[in-house]
Amino acid sequence: MNPEPALFADKLHKEFAAVVAVNQLSLRVERGQIFGLLGPNGAGKTTTIRIWMDILKPDSGTALVLGQPPGAARTRVGYLPEERGLYRGLRVHECLTYFGQLKGMKQADAARRATELLERLELADRAKAKVQELSRGMQQKAQLAAALIHDPELVILDEPFQGLDPVNVEVIRTLIRELRAQGKTIVLSAHEMSLVESLCERIALINKGRIVLEGALTDIRRRFSPNALDISPPLDLAGWPEVEQAQTHVANGVTAQRVYLRPGVQHRDFLRAVVERGQPVERFELATMPLDEIFIRVVTGRGDEQ
Amino acid sequence: MTRLTWTIARHEYVTNVRRPGFIFSTLLIPALGLIGLIVIIIFFRQTIDLLRIEMRSRDRRPVGVVDQSGLYTPIATQFAEDFRAYPDEAAARAALLAEQIDAYLVIPADYVTRGALTAYTRSGGNSFQDLIVLDRNKLNLFLVHGLAADKLDTTILRRVSDTGAGDFLPIRLDSQGNPVTKEANPFTFFGGIIASMVFSILLFISIFTSSGYLLRSVSEEKENRVMEILLASVSANDLLWGKVIGLGALGLTQVGVWLLSGVLLTGGLGMLMAGALAALNPLTFVLALIYFILGYLLYGVLMAAAGSLGTSVRESQQIGTLFSGGAALPWMISSFMMTNPNMTLARVLSWFPLSAPTMMMLRLPYGNVPVIDIVGSIAVLVLSLPLVMWAGVKVFRASLLVYGKRLSVKEIWSALRKA
Repeated sequence: MNPEPALFADKLHKEFAAVVAVNQLSLRVERGQIFGLLGPNGAGKTTTIRIWMDILKPDSGTALVLGQPPGAARTRVGYLPEERGLYRGLRVHECLTYFGQLKGMKQADAARRATELLERLELADRAKAKVQELSRGMQQKAQLAAALIHDPELVILDEPFQGLDPVNVEVIRTLIRELRAQGKTIVLSAHEMSLVESLCERIALINKGRIVLEGALTDIRRRFSPNALDISPPLDLAGWPEVEQAQTHVANGVTAQRVYLRPGVQHRDFLRAVVERGQPVERFELATMPLDEIFIRVVTGRGDEQ
Repeated sequence: MTRLTWTIARHEYVTNVRRPGFIFSTLLIPALGLIGLIVIIIFFRQTIDLLRIEMRSRDRRPVGVVDQSGLYTPIATQFAEDFRAYPDEAAARAALLAEQIDAYLVIPADYVTRGALTAYTRSGGNSFQDLIVLDRNKLNLFLVHGLAADKLDTTILRRVSDTGAGDFLPIRLDSQGNPVTKEANPFTFFGGIIASMVFSILLFISIFTSSGYLLRSVSEEKENRVMEILLASVSANDLLWGKVIGLGALGLTQVGVWLLSGVLLTGGLGMLMAGALAALNPLTFVLALIYFILGYLLYGVLMAAAGSLGTSVRESQQIGTLFSGGAALPWMISSFMMTNPNMTLARVLSWFPLSAPTMMMLRLPYGNVPVIDIVGSIAVLVLSLPLVMWAGVKVFRASLLVYGKRLSVKEIWSALRKA
């Protein structure tokens, strides 16, 4: 592992007028992974990202990007801001080339790379169109191309799936996985939890300017999983001493049952009981809490960590 | 300033120079000039024809004289070519109608005591034509000769009819008695004033078109939300300077096109102006350039800050007028300056940074500006520029990413304090 993290923040603090946007925030994002930065609206995600991008100066604390102070590593970082914008009057290819030049590329290299990216994002036929002539989804993809034009080591994507249809969501998701496979670090902030779950290896949850939860997605899930199992087909569990409660529900056309165990009862104890009682079980898995629910619980302070 | 500053400057120049709005406003002035020229040609064609006739007027006909005073006949030999005597009005009228003469004078018997005489010309001409037909200089000489020929010699006679008092300009002396205005030649003097006036006005227009573009460019990038991408790629300083340089060049291009079209459209007149410009005091020229650069930097930064402050282009323009108002103030008093370019208000405004560039560019053409005002105004500008740039960049940076609302005075103050 590279000794310098991709992103680093230590006791970062930023206030606007009377509002504390980032409150003594500390975070370390290692290289070569897809990292999810989550949090409710106004939690301080964008402000933290803007400090890393040297768009805002922190009131106090340390921020490092690829081991350097913000601003020093600009050409190695790609950024898709939440507030999207391109030069509406320029042609798409021309606009991307200019952004490439601003990232220190030579004009010819930037133009070549713009052509490649537009092809990759299925926008090649719109290269000569003016930005304002593109649909919202197309503009979104062009914006992503602007963030990747200089082939950055670190890509920060603020809400990359906003306003995209399922086909384009898939195009972007595949692209993000490709970037990861190339060894790049991707930090994404998103509201679509299912997309975060399908992409991110680690996440950090920010609320009121602080990190309230951070770690590998699998660990967090385990930490928040209830002492329960999902089984099918449903069983008649009345009178079982291991079981506190059971609920039958239908998911994806299959009738399943969530079984909540009494405190102290292990999953294997219940499995053993099922086998001993000769019950037919086709599916047996540990129940996990969906990320949305973890999110809501942490943010609303009902942190039912198990 | 980095390489990116120049990348931004080139981008700003190239993208704006091909905007239809820019092309339109750049071509508007030459187009208006062309229309004006056509109007002049149509309306003054008659006059021009007449001038042409006058140019080859060696065959011009003499003026008839009906002398009832007895002072002018017989006609003296030196006037025989231009004046012809007739015994009475009827004979003179017949000669006029027969186009043997272009006009005739009736000099009454009491001319010496009353000084009144009557002139007749043919109808169909205009008063301008009459002026040419009845050449005042020749007429004067002729009339004076008749009155005093036997009393004065020819040289004195000539001087009496043309004392030269009509066309001289005084040479101004300073307190030591040294001439201040080198040239007493009226053409060079007025040409110099007009040329430096035009030069000042063009530079002034250039400052305001450029800083206007700057305001719009910043404001549009903010409105289009491009700003965040830009600031993630370049520093606010690079961005600001790139824009100031690129759009400054754009303004100069516009003025250049106007100047060139002026020379082309007016032909000789343009060359005349160029000649007058060359006659301009080189120091005035250099000073005007210094005020132009300092003025543009000052207004450029202020307008960029105004562009970043507004929530829309329109609102930014309203904020911008606060600054351009200061620059326009000298124009409001410029008509009073014709008589006294060093009036107190003009001197005060020369020391105030917002109005100093315009005020000094307006005062310079008149010459005679106290050295203390020149040194003082440049010093005020040079000293206020770093402050304005520092504050401008802070406000620019603080307000660029605030969308949908304008920074309050308190927020601007806090941005400045956090520097």
